[in-house]
Amino acid sequence: MMRAGPSQEEIRRHNLGVLLRHVHLDGPTSRAELTTRMGLNRSTIMALTADLTAAGLVREELPRETGRAGRPSLVVRPESARVYVLAFDIGVDRLVAARVGLGGVILDRREAIRERGAFVLEDVVGRLAAFTAQMLQKTRGDTVCVGVGVAFSGGVRSSDGVVRFSPNIGAVDIPLGEELERRLGLGVPVAVGNDANLGALAEQARGVGVGCRDLIYLHGDVGIGGGVIAAGQLLRGQGGYGGEVGHMVINSGGRPCGCGSRGCLEAEVGERALLEAAGRFGPQIGRDAVRAVVDAADRGDIVAQDALARVGDWLGLGVANLVNIFNPEIVIFGGMLREIYLGAAAQVRSRITTDVLHACRESLRLRTPVLGDDTTLVGAAELAFAQVLADPLDALARVGA
Amino acid sequence: MTPQPVLAVRGLDKSFGPVQVLHDVAFSAYAGEVTALVGDNGAGKSTLVKCLGGIHSIDAGEYLFDGKPVQVTSPREAAELGIEIVYQDLALCDNLDIVQNMFLGRERKSGLVLDEATMEEMAAKTLDGLSVRTVKSIRQLVSSLSGGQRQTVAIAKAVLWNSKVVILDEPTAALGVAQTAQVLELVRRLADNGLAVILISHNMNDVFAVSDRIAALYLGRMAAQVKASDVTHSQVVELITSGRSGELGLQNVNGVTA
Repeated sequence: MMRAGPSQEEIRRHNLGVLLRHVHLDGPTSRAELTTRMGLNRSTIMALTADLTAAGLVREELPRETGRAGRPSLVVRPESARVYVLAFDIGVDRLVAARVGLGGVILDRREAIRERGAFVLEDVVGRLAAFTAQMLQKTRGDTVCVGVGVAFSGGVRSSDGVVRFSPNIGAVDIPLGEELERRLGLGVPVAVGNDANLGALAEQARGVGVGCRDLIYLHGDVGIGGGVIAAGQLLRGQGGYGGEVGHMVINSGGRPCGCGSRGCLEAEVGERALLEAAGRFGPQIGRDAVRAVVDAADRGDIVAQDALARVGDWLGLGVANLVNIFNPEIVIFGGMLREIYLGAAAQVRSRITTDVLHACRESLRLRTPVLGDDTTLVGAAELAFAQVLADPLDALARVGA
Repeated sequence: MTPQPVLAVRGLDKSFGPVQVLHDVAFSAYAGEVTALVGDNGAGKSTLVKCLGGIHSIDAGEYLFDGKPVQVTSPREAAELGIEIVYQDLALCDNLDIVQNMFLGRERKSGLVLDEATMEEMAAKTLDGLSVRTVKSIRQLVSSLSGGQRQTVAIAKAVLWNSKVVILDEPTAALGVAQTAQVLELVRRLADNGLAVILISHNMNDVFAVSDRIAALYLGRMAAQVKASDVTHSQVVELITSGRSGELGLQNVNGVTA
């Protein structure tokens, strides 16, 4: 039998999610404003906020003086201190854990340096679990964790959160989501995603790409990850490995890449390429080493200047290909690519000018992330909030709140 | 279709005694865009900016603001139109805190006393709107701030007054790499918030990192004003050093046809 359409209950649940998303992304919003934005009538908005208030997800308050005549509309605020998620960011050189309240407020945060070397699941999960225990000890009794999200520097299978590959961390076929869920023992599902994909979503939700439907986020860690949002949707690909722009071959027969190929974008632009070109490949590694090259170039070191210009030129070529293919509104340079873009923008943009179709570049914007080094972490938090925003009451019931 | 510039000058001439510093200069700045003003030392960048800011009078030419002809004969008149200039030396007072500096000479009063609460709130709101997270307290003395933070305060001071055009004279010249990055991001954010930003810089990376348009002055003449997405680094360098680059720029420099 054909269905007649969504039931009233389905519509209500959907609207609850939409309203909560407004308050989550835009902060305290008046009922009047919600009425306009959602295109629903006042009594519906009132009923929806009443349900969300009863569930402890939002609260309503009188606004501060509005300076206008008439009874002021109540302001709906997210219950940031009560409803939270756990967000983890696993990069090549760092492990970050944070407790993030509804509305995107980072309530607590721990960070540790990760030593390069073999990936030991037990060790990484153990450290994140220890951070979690520390943070949970400080929370009040009436708080509720509604999700856990992980940003990982590698390819993650979307169906089950298994890390399939990560040339720069060295994890292959690791059941990260499952193991973390078991160790945390919170009874809350753990969602895992690629760090650059999540970074793209984070900058679109809360960063420099708010309102953009076509966006590319490039994340430089040791290698280069990418997140492509086309027509408002993240390009995930069939298995969840879409957007691996770091392994786009830009220099046939070029430098060897950790993935086994040669001349990949990340082999020509990644940390090692820059450090070797600058004659600085040695004990100093990571962001500090990259910054040291940019700093030396700024002070007039011609070897560093030359290395930065070369890397900038390859980066420009990679971006030029992406811009011709996807015609994005904005390209965001995150992680260590922020330093490289700002230090070599003349080369990057010259490449784009010469290699990109005029129509694709005339209104292209090149930006650095507003969320800074927290872009991928914020992305993990947004991933963790996805359930509660899709169906607030159902998600709460599932975590036993 | 080209949008209407917020600020435009046409046919601008300026001489100091017998020396003509600007010849027939045309220049435009657009809302929501960073326009870089580049040129060699002595090309006339500072003089042009001082003409825009009402510090120097102009000898000839048209000055349009929001499309309407205006006379700008003093810095106060420029400020009334919404034009603010942040100079290299920043003109901040070391012995005052951030809020006091931002309101210096334009303090808010409530009755006879200063309205500290409102000023504090406005200052905090402005810094927040620019996503400035590097400053710990807005009651910090300026003497305790780093070079990048000072630049940030000077820029925030300029945008506090509902400005429409902000002119920045070499804002990254004296800064290290980390602080340069922060200031560049701030410059970009000003424009993304809707202001017309004019950036004077010698550093081509800074120019390409944030600019939408590039205006190159050569020996007091406007060699070209182009979209940054239409030119390469070497073309801009040629415009700066020889006034032309292929089809771009002055085709007839110093009366000699190239």
